[in-house]
Amino acid sequence: MAGQRSFARKLMFNAFAWTIVLVIVFPLIWMILTSLKPQSELFMIPPGFFPEQVTFEHYWRLLTETPFLTYLRNSTVLATATTLIVIIIATLGAHSLTRFAYPGREFLARAVLFTYLLPSVVLILPLYFLMINVGLGNTLASLVIAYTTFALPYALWLLRSFMAGIPDDLEAAAMVDGASRMRAFVDVILPQALPGIISTALFTAILAWNEYLYALVLVNSDDVRPLTTGVMSMLVTSFNIEWSLLMAASVMMSVPLIFVFVFLQRYLTRGFGAGAVKG
Amino acid sequence: MAVPGLSAAAPTKLRWWSTQSSPEQLAAYRYQIETFEAAHPGVEVVFERTSDEGYAAQLAAAFAGGNVPNLVTHLPSFAVADYWNAGLILPFDDVISSIGAERFNEGANRVYEIDEGVHAAAALGNTAANMLWIRTDLMEKHGVDAIPTTWDELRDACSRMQGRGIYGAPLPYARNSMTTLVIIGFIHQAGGSVFSPDLEVTLDSDEAENALEFYASMREFCPAGATGYSWGEALSAFVSGATATGLYAGRVLINVTRQNPRIADHITCATYPTISADVTPWTFNDFPSVFIPADAADLDLTRAFAAWLFEPEGYIRQLHATPGHVLPVVSDVASDERYLSNEVIARYPTEIERLSAAAAAGQNLGWETTAHPSNPRAGAVVNSGVLAEMVQRVALNGEKPRDALKTTASRIERILKA
Amino acid sequence: MESSTRPAPKDTGLSPGTRSSMLGLMLIAPTVLVFCAVIVYPLISAIYLSLFSIYTPTMEGDWAGLSNYKVLIQSGEFWRSFGNNLVWTVGTLTLQIVFGILVALVLHQNLWFRSLARSLVLFPYFLSTVVAVLVWRWLFNDLYGVLNHFLMWTRIIDMPIDWLGTMPNAMISMILVGAWKYFPFVVIAVLARLQTIPDELYEAATIDGAGPVARFRDITLPQLREVLVVIILLRTIWDFKEFDLIYLLTGGGPVISTQTLPLMVYKEAFALNQMGSASAVAVMMMLFMLVFMFFYLRKAED
Repeated sequence: MAGQRSFARKLMFNAFAWTIVLVIVFPLIWMILTSLKPQSELFMIPPGFFPEQVTFEHYWRLLTETPFLTYLRNSTVLATATTLIVIIIATLGAHSLTRFAYPGREFLARAVLFTYLLPSVVLILPLYFLMINVGLGNTLASLVIAYTTFALPYALWLLRSFMAGIPDDLEAAAMVDGASRMRAFVDVILPQALPGIISTALFTAILAWNEYLYALVLVNSDDVRPLTTGVMSMLVTSFNIEWSLLMAASVMMSVPLIFVFVFLQRYLTRGFGAGAVKG
Repeated sequence: MAVPGLSAAAPTKLRWWSTQSSPEQLAAYRYQIETFEAAHPGVEVVFERTSDEGYAAQLAAAFAGGNVPNLVTHLPSFAVADYWNAGLILPFDDVISSIGAERFNEGANRVYEIDEGVHAAAALGNTAANMLWIRTDLMEKHGVDAIPTTWDELRDACSRMQGRGIYGAPLPYARNSMTTLVIIGFIHQAGGSVFSPDLEVTLDSDEAENALEFYASMREFCPAGATGYSWGEALSAFVSGATATGLYAGRVLINVTRQNPRIADHITCATYPTISADVTPWTFNDFPSVFIPADAADLDLTRAFAAWLFEPEGYIRQLHATPGHVLPVVSDVASDERYLSNEVIARYPTEIERLSAAAAAGQNLGWETTAHPSNPRAGAVVNSGVLAEMVQRVALNGEKPRDALKTTASRIERILKA
Repeated sequence: MESSTRPAPKDTGLSPGTRSSMLGLMLIAPTVLVFCAVIVYPLISAIYLSLFSIYTPTMEGDWAGLSNYKVLIQSGEFWRSFGNNLVWTVGTLTLQIVFGILVALVLHQNLWFRSLARSLVLFPYFLSTVVAVLVWRWLFNDLYGVLNHFLMWTRIIDMPIDWLGTMPNAMISMILVGAWKYFPFVVIAVLARLQTIPDELYEAATIDGAGPVARFRDITLPQLREVLVVIILLRTIWDFKEFDLIYLLTGGGPVISTQTLPLMVYKEAFALNQMGSASAVAVMMMLFMLVFMFFYLRKAED
């Protein structure tokens, strides 16, 4: 009896929880279904739920007839490069901010938060001139640099709070053993900070992968355009809105993330949590 | 160790920007680029896409940074005038004479003669942007005998044909360039104008009030989402069969044949109706242009490439990418057998003729009537979006047309002063 | 590891303390350098530009002193945009927090296929704003949108609703889409914190006869306090300066009903070509955020 009742309760709870989950992901389900419908079904009134005829032609067209793959490559390069640079700089910086004492440290820590306040629209034109002046106009490098403006403060913030949570005595113990500070950093702090670093890297990569405004203004040729602006400018034009292609492109833009995500999801909550607890 | 390929001089790179880049157009551009590159070894032409809504920001950044493209095509004439007056464009007369000034249709380049005797650009085509498109099968079914020529007839036709999931018209009520363009058209179709021939703002007029009232009265025939419509949505709405009438340029033809062949035999077009038979139709022609920004590098090659765009074979391919949308401005091409043999052009001779006639008589905010001089601030007024905002105030927020006109007139005056 | 092969510290004649702070400064140097180049320099130029009246395409203009600011403070549009910005930020943030905590609590339970459920729920956060907006615009579509047809099918409405083009629908839709896109961030942080709350606390409370509501109020919420303070700070900043989502979803319309300050900056700079007054809006915007942060952090530290 009791077992049955608890099972019923469990069932109810699961039904409730999964309904919420399904409502949340419904837009994504709809995106996938739309991308599989032939164009004639797209403009049906009322719209059918499942495609009457499943087609992969939109995916095929995207891959063969459009610069989609170039955009994909650019986005990948951008996300990877931004993440690498930001993580290296931010890990060193966060280590410095949490483990060293020097004048101006507190000021710097606050400045980080302040830079986080700056809206991208403010920085965009000065940054543009800067890029042109150093000969980086219309290049992927200019976007990587631009992306550090918002990714670095954020990464530094996350990592600093995470690394502040690593007990001081670990490093002290290593140094008592005679390790230099850098050695202790590499051998002791880094492994401890790894979950935080992975989660910060993920957040950074996502920011870079998804950015739109800088990409819109700073670069202007298909060789260097990332997916966000590439797909928009290619498929939403004054003469057509290619909904089927847009949905197919959306699915393909999200697929790489799904993979990354399934593998790294664990770190995400762990790394973030430990950091956030410390404030 | 010798690295092959490095010994040869790096190719000269020409950057070409355009707001028009449908897949068919891109294919035509590729042909023009390839033939040019074959004829000029060591030159590489890179096509870079921009958009109607995005070019202002992108060109602003490029001009300000000195990182300009070599050639810009398809921008409306009023944008050209704006940049010309800011000293951002080179004179185009060399190119026009190497193409052959006499080959252009009579008066085709007049709109670019902003300062007397100098051309800021040349016409790459003509476009009749605000044509009335209508479904003949629905007209027949609902007893609409003739294509509407006045606003009352249009409203009557729309109310008859609306229903069963079909709306009357896809007019835009958004804050974008299409709404701006449509209201400018309506003001002229009411017999008014935005600027007087001496370029004073004359928005606060009965004609403009009528235009706004008409625009607002059409709201009931438009889909709910028309508040967000731009060119793309307005086009798809008519092409997909969701609306009985449409307002667009010639691209409807190819889109209907490609995307919705079921209605392909049941569409036609005419100039957009006017307030009464006394007012002659007014077509918005944005005069798609070609110009060379000041500071562009490699001028000789750039000029050669600009002229290359008018070589008949490639030019015809460009026109065929969107038959009836970008219409020829070069008279020998317009009568060229290769041009006329296109499937869509052959299928819709009446429509092509109407589009061509309307476009040839077309004007725009930069050149409102033949009595007006070129208006250097038209681009700023269009891009500011104040006219579209005025439409929204009246049609969506229920503001009084007269009040909206007054505030908008003063806002335009402020833009003129800036 | 190889700690035995450590190099002997060089005798630089500096005290260990100084040497250590030198190292600390060296480590922070790249950060400072990057900040100066890509943030401080543009920031200073933004403030500088706000004192001029500048035509964007040429970037030339005349000294205007504080007149850009004077015009702004007197303009209805600026305050309207600021008001919209507040409505949007407060609205979407509240939903994110409430919904985020709720979902985190659900996902913290022992659920069937829990890790799948977690991955799915977190997904909107990782989606490009572009993709998210496109999908929602397709759902909202007046003619072919599934949302309108679903509501018409269930007879809640008889005519399609204009979700994005009229008020207050546009603001509500925007807030909802924002909440949908960003609530997973709250879920991530709250979930992480929930995992660290010792079970004993709950067991003890249950023995004391506390119901689920009381347990949530007396144990969970206080434990979440710290993490919520951080989340609210971060999300307020992000939501306040959100550009992509609003620009792509409503573009600020109808008229300027959903135009927030970042959109006004963009419009002034690129549609009206007034770089000077665009910069002035941006500087004002930063001032607002600074004031908010100042009070928020003071309050939070109490």
